[in-house]
Amino acid sequence: MLRGSIFASIIFVFILSAASVEAEVSPEIQLGARGVMSLNVDSKNNQTTDAISDFSDTDFMVGFRQKMYNKFRGQLVIGFQFPDADSDLGQVFFHQTFIKIENKSNIFKMGRSRVKTTLLDFPLLRDDDALLLTTALNPFSSGENSEDHQYGNVIEFIHLFSQRYQLQVHAEHFRKTPKTLGVAETDFGLNALGFVLQYKVPQSQRWNRSIIQSVSIGTNNFLTDRPGFSSEYDQALKNILFSFAINLKPDPVHFWDLRSQTIYNSGFREVQEINEFGDLTRTEAIGNYSSIRYLYRKMERPSLQVAFSGGYKKFLNTIQPSKLFQIASSIFYRIGENFDVGLQIQYKDFSGDLKNLYGDNETRIQFSLIYSIDQLWNNQFDDRESLLNLEHGYIP
Amino acid sequence: MDRRNFIKTGAAISAVSLFPVSLLTPNAIAAVSERFQKPLTPIMDGDVKEFHLSVDIYQQEVVPGFSFHTLAFNNQIPGPELRVTRGDKVRVIFKNMTELNHTIHWHGIYVPWRMDGVPYVTQMPVMPGKEFVYEFVAEPYGTHFYHCHWGTLLHMQAGMYGSFIVEDPDDPIKKQYGYEREYTLVYSAHDVNFIRKELNVMLDRMKERMYLMKQGRFDKERFATFDTKDEFVAAVEKGYQPPYVTNRRSPSELPQPNWFTVNGKSYPMTPNLLIKKGESIRVRLINAGTEEHYLHLHGHDFWLVCDDGVPVPQPWQMNTVRLSPGKTIDIVIEGKNRGIWTFHDHDTRRVTNNGLYPGGNLLALIYEDTPIEEMELNHMAKKMGLKSLPIVALDE
Repeated sequence: MLRGSIFASIIFVFILSAASVEAEVSPEIQLGARGVMSLNVDSKNNQTTDAISDFSDTDFMVGFRQKMYNKFRGQLVIGFQFPDADSDLGQVFFHQTFIKIENKSNIFKMGRSRVKTTLLDFPLLRDDDALLLTTALNPFSSGENSEDHQYGNVIEFIHLFSQRYQLQVHAEHFRKTPKTLGVAETDFGLNALGFVLQYKVPQSQRWNRSIIQSVSIGTNNFLTDRPGFSSEYDQALKNILFSFAINLKPDPVHFWDLRSQTIYNSGFREVQEINEFGDLTRTEAIGNYSSIRYLYRKMERPSLQVAFSGGYKKFLNTIQPSKLFQIASSIFYRIGENFDVGLQIQYKDFSGDLKNLYGDNETRIQFSLIYSIDQLWNNQFDDRESLLNLEHGYIP
Repeated sequence: MDRRNFIKTGAAISAVSLFPVSLLTPNAIAAVSERFQKPLTPIMDGDVKEFHLSVDIYQQEVVPGFSFHTLAFNNQIPGPELRVTRGDKVRVIFKNMTELNHTIHWHGIYVPWRMDGVPYVTQMPVMPGKEFVYEFVAEPYGTHFYHCHWGTLLHMQAGMYGSFIVEDPDDPIKKQYGYEREYTLVYSAHDVNFIRKELNVMLDRMKERMYLMKQGRFDKERFATFDTKDEFVAAVEKGYQPPYVTNRRSPSELPQPNWFTVNGKSYPMTPNLLIKKGESIRVRLINAGTEEHYLHLHGHDFWLVCDDGVPVPQPWQMNTVRLSPGKTIDIVIEGKNRGIWTFHDHDTRRVTNNGLYPGGNLLALIYEDTPIEEMELNHMAKKMGLKSLPIVALDE
């Protein structure tokens, strides 16, 4: 124990002295914060049950970035968020803690971060508002925490081909829940891997009038313990994701777009009933979620966003036909720079085995206030996807 | 190798070793002229001298290892020198190759008012892909310059400036001092972080605006452009919030230049002035930047002979001259003290590269006839492997 402490102390001193030598390079400092406050009125099975004040998904991130030798850049990001009140994650959850190293056409990222269980963001109040439809679900999760499906310990490599094409290869450790009480978690081995092929127009080029924003296809293979199967291929729970986002009307004032994502879960053929969340993630299913969005930009800034979203998921291998259907409508109005008020209405309908888990239906109405900032200090170099770097020659 | 070649090679090696001062080699002397903008050759159209200028986004290497995105006339910073004779009819055909708006202002020239290049005051901006023809008679005599007058704070420090020299066959300065050689030094100061961020913002905004304008959807409030002051005031009274109010823009620091250039280069790549003992040279100083410079010549006094192009009634003898933004000052240096002498800003904050001394606008007055033996180094320096004075030092 004592020996360990001394060793730790030596490392600490070593790092400290190295830091003082490099003091002439002060990093870019990036601060991101988002406050999402809502009053939720929930109705389950057509009975009003709850009215709660909800601040989940509120998050805070700080990043440090600097140029490295040989045309590379390095970045450290640390961030935490406030999880749902009924999660077992505690008061705060460190959802981002990673280091990223990149050059013009390669990105390597390691640490806790967003996992590739979804290929698109949808215009909803919170990231997890349509989680069952928008995300390849983590089969190691109890279903208690939406963060189990969104964040994990990742190792990710991205290679970009001619600015708009990229190949992402990723491996993750997804959280396993519930934890056994009194037993420390010791297994942090990688339990998923996959890849994504993507065509994506950088955000900075949104006014170049292209129709396609992005087209992606990816896989997510969860390396599960499947009783009775020893082959790793057979043990893996395979998800295939396909998504696209297109501009319906790429107008700077009245902007319309459409986005859609389909997820196919190959499932395990022996899982034919959904009695718990683990079954839901392990049985064959196909789902789609799509949104159509109108964005009004007054004075060259977003001012009003109206979106209508909907999706379904069909479970293909359950004895009892089971389906999930969901629609959501949201409206956000900007009352100040980065400050929005919003109203969102969602309706979910469950059939078959899903009724065991979620009841017949759920309706949720949310009145919200959202404030988000993204600030950069000590800026020293340009982003890869800036207009200058994309269209006028990349400067490392 | 035959004997003849051996002798040839041996002689070359000896010449190099006996001629250690790289600054005084024939190649180095010839290279000095490369650091000065060459006059643009006009096309004669009858009795009109016609020049073609274009502007595009360009990467300027200020010193080896550091480049930034700039706006450049004819792909050079400064733009080419325009040199005409007093009374010449001048036509400048200006082509805008960028996605931004521009104009050209003829600083110090008695142009007709519609040729003065001030957007919305004397002309509409020259829009992306468009051309504008400036026509005027070259008056008055002296050292002047031209620069963009659209988004002047950004566009000038991004590189849109160049010298404009009006000669007189009976040049009074030449008569008085009998010089043969003259040099033009154009000073500027660049906050490269401001330039990068603003260029990206402007490019994005202009893509959006050009899309709307092509459709005839000009919106005065959106474009922050009004016909009259009354119209603007009325708009504010009706609730329009101008772009400078604090709910649309937080108070931000004005540009803080961190690179200081002479003819687009910083030390050690700045141009040097060549002189011989007994010779007089004329140096035209132009401040196209936003910072004041206090230019000091070591080992000499010089004569301030012209202020804003106008010959002063009584030349002033001095060794430090104040060069304010927008000013041109002509000085005559008499070759009276053989050697290598620095000529630099005595506000030494501008003798830095990215905050590191020496750098910036440091340059040298070099006597071509300085004896080699005077440049010899001491024994210790030779042991260090250094050859002779002057030495390029990047971190004192």
